[in-house]
Amino acid sequence: MSFVPGQPVTAVVQRIEIQKLRQGDKLILGFSIGGGIDQDPGQNPFSEDKTDKGIYVTRISPGGPADVANLRMGDKIMQVNGWDMTMVTHDQARKKLTKQKEDVVRLLITRKSLEETVSQSKGKNPKPCTYANEKQNLNDVMYTNNVR
Amino acid sequence: MSNSRNLRDSDIQKKIDHEIRMRDGACKLLAACSQREQALEAAKSLQTCSTRIMAYMSELQRMKEAQVMQNVPRRSSDAGPMDERLPCKGKVAISDLRIPLMWKDTEYFKNKGELHRCAVFCLLQLGGEIFDTDMVIVDRTLTDICFDNAIVFNKASPGFELRVELYSCCSEDDYSAGSTPRKLASKLSSSLGRSAGKKLRAAMEPGPCSPVSNGGASPLLLPVPSVPGPKYHLLAHTSLSLSQIQDGFRTHDLTISGNEECSYWLPLYGSMCCRLVAQPYCMTQQMMSGCLKVKQCGGDPQSWTNVFAVLKGTSLFCYHRQEDVEANVEPAFTIGINKETRIRASEKDPQSKVQHICISNQYGGEEVTHTLTAESREDTHRWMEAFWQHFYDMSQWKQCCDDLMKIELPSPRKPASITPKQGSLYHEMVIDSTHDLSSTVSDILARRMQELELRSQLGMSPTWMSVFEENDTKPAAFPRQCNSRLSGHSPCSPHRRPLSPASPPCCPRLGLLSSDASLTSDSDSHCSTSPCCHHRGWPEPSLNFPLLSSSPFGLRPRTLSLDAKLSTLRGRGYGGGGGTFQCPCQPPPSSRLSPLPISSRSPLSQRSTQTTLSCSSSTSSNSSSNSEGSHSPESSEGVLFSRPSPARRSLRNLRARLDPRNWLQSQV
Repeated sequence: MSFVPGQPVTAVVQRIEIQKLRQGDKLILGFSIGGGIDQDPGQNPFSEDKTDKGIYVTRISPGGPADVANLRMGDKIMQVNGWDMTMVTHDQARKKLTKQKEDVVRLLITRKSLEETVSQSKGKNPKPCTYANEKQNLNDVMYTNNVR
Repeated sequence: MSNSRNLRDSDIQKKIDHEIRMRDGACKLLAACSQREQALEAAKSLQTCSTRIMAYMSELQRMKEAQVMQNVPRRSSDAGPMDERLPCKGKVAISDLRIPLMWKDTEYFKNKGELHRCAVFCLLQLGGEIFDTDMVIVDRTLTDICFDNAIVFNKASPGFELRVELYSCCSEDDYSAGSTPRKLASKLSSSLGRSAGKKLRAAMEPGPCSPVSNGGASPLLLPVPSVPGPKYHLLAHTSLSLSQIQDGFRTHDLTISGNEECSYWLPLYGSMCCRLVAQPYCMTQQMMSGCLKVKQCGGDPQSWTNVFAVLKGTSLFCYHRQEDVEANVEPAFTIGINKETRIRASEKDPQSKVQHICISNQYGGEEVTHTLTAESREDTHRWMEAFWQHFYDMSQWKQCCDDLMKIELPSPRKPASITPKQGSLYHEMVIDSTHDLSSTVSDILARRMQELELRSQLGMSPTWMSVFEENDTKPAAFPRQCNSRLSGHSPCSPHRRPLSPASPPCCPRLGLLSSDASLTSDSDSHCSTSPCCHHRGWPEPSLNFPLLSSSPFGLRPRTLSLDAKLSTLRGRGYGGGGGTFQCPCQPPPSSRLSPLPISSRSPLSQRSTQTTLSCSSSTSSNSSSNSEGSHSPESSEGVLFSRPSPARRSLRNLRARLDPRNWLQSQV
């Protein structure tokens, strides 16, 4: 999941839709994130490439909205509601996730196991395929992003 | 001809004399001053003066040579360039210079190694003008070298070359190099530690690390006085020209001289970012003005309008009356004069025998022609000449003539007094009751006092206060090691979560806080916060912010009595404070994975041993912390004890976020 600056990033992603849970006067998602371009990537225990400054899920509250939506610890978040998360600061990422006016977040996440699954099941070059419904389906969506 | 030349000669001579006087003054100041900052400033002015002198002398040389050439009778074939059109001059301004640095992450994030500091400044040279920027002290807490000065060069021609030179000088212990005899010097350098000796040797032997200061351009006609004290060396240089001008920021490459062995070395990223703009005079000044008659093409053949026209920038402004120009009244109409404009002289009007000038522009696909008539043939000729010159200027200045670029001069500020250095508090702090402490530390102290008052209900302050009151002595240079830190800091933080001081987020500088943190309890506070604050799971490794609150104690030398106090504090129990304290020094990567188990209440004085225990029990504690996480409600903190107020929490979080050494986690 590392990137070469200037080259597009490609990853196998999964869409996850999380409905926020209202707790008191706040809407929460039930997980914690770590990482960001302003953070030290060497301290990220989840990243394979220790120069990866992406946003990773570091903790899931059991039974929380993220858990229910099948978000897993160690997932790297690529997009939140269309906003790119591969080149953001930690605070920017947090803000995109905690907009109180939105009660659902649609994430594009990637994890190592996805790549493995895809490559095992489809051979070397997985084809992108469309999915029937928006909900949590494994999609061979090739996520391409121009990362500066 | 020769008169003006003599005038120029004497001008330059005067300038040279002036600079020589300045240089002598700087030498004297350098010899006399005792403070490092003053010495650096004086050395900087010395460098600037020397460079200026060399530039003036080379110009003088060139002029003398030109004079000699003029006096030689010229052959007819040589004559030619005299009639050539010269482009107008202009102002060139460079501002917001920023040079990024590329520290190794071990240096920047973990503060390894000695703090290497350099004083840097830039010399900017265009034509005969040389300016220097302010001096900036750079150490590894900075990511970029920023110079705020805006430098404006007047009288630059379009083919200018703006040379930017970055000079740096090691700003550490003063090895006054000149006087030490060589044998002693080599003995010293061999007997000192490796890095100190290297520096000493580099300081004493200019050798390969210090090229001639002006890049060795012209031969030195005057000997540069060798003065003891700091000496600047050229670290990097680059040349900018017309093609690099843009109304915005651009990055340029730097050529770096010197290498890692030099004392003045800084790890430059290799580029420089700045804003380079130009205002050619043809854009800002009136190139030509006079009375004209204008007729619009397609209009009534006899409807000539009398106007007073002014050629400036990309337009010909036509005013009804000459007085309107000064009165700033809007012109009657404006005819655009730009690269796409075509101007030609039409045939002579049979009646008046005056040539018309036709100006054609394309306005959105349509061609609009204005016809102008001047009062006389000479006037017509002058206007045509002005237009040709204007077109020539625009072709020479290229992109600078598309639009007028703004040159912003910074508002005149008082010269900054010697600000508290951006070094680490660690190295510079002198705690003396008579001294004026740097504002940050005194703020912290004041705030701690306030917090103590608040916490007095918890009943622990008395002991802690007494410890606090002992804080009077100068701190020793604390090595960044676990043991000293461990023993020292524990009483600093009450077992309750110490709150971050409400210091303004902008105020604490990175270096300041890093050193504080190194001296004070670090993960004690963070581990006690872990159940209650956002930052869970990943222990903040070493030297982090939220602990700044305990900083005042860091400045105190650790004594045995502290251990005694420790035990009393410990006896009170740590309500929810628990968690492991990570040994900040060199935690093996795996150890960082151990989040703070809530259940373990490691006694503070045995942190080092606990560390290893926690390291080994990483996996188990991992799961326990996960489960622990589930207990606490997501958005609130404080499972076991009173939660800090939201304001403090946000400030602490802000602090934590500002420290690049933390790997922040946020709950969403």
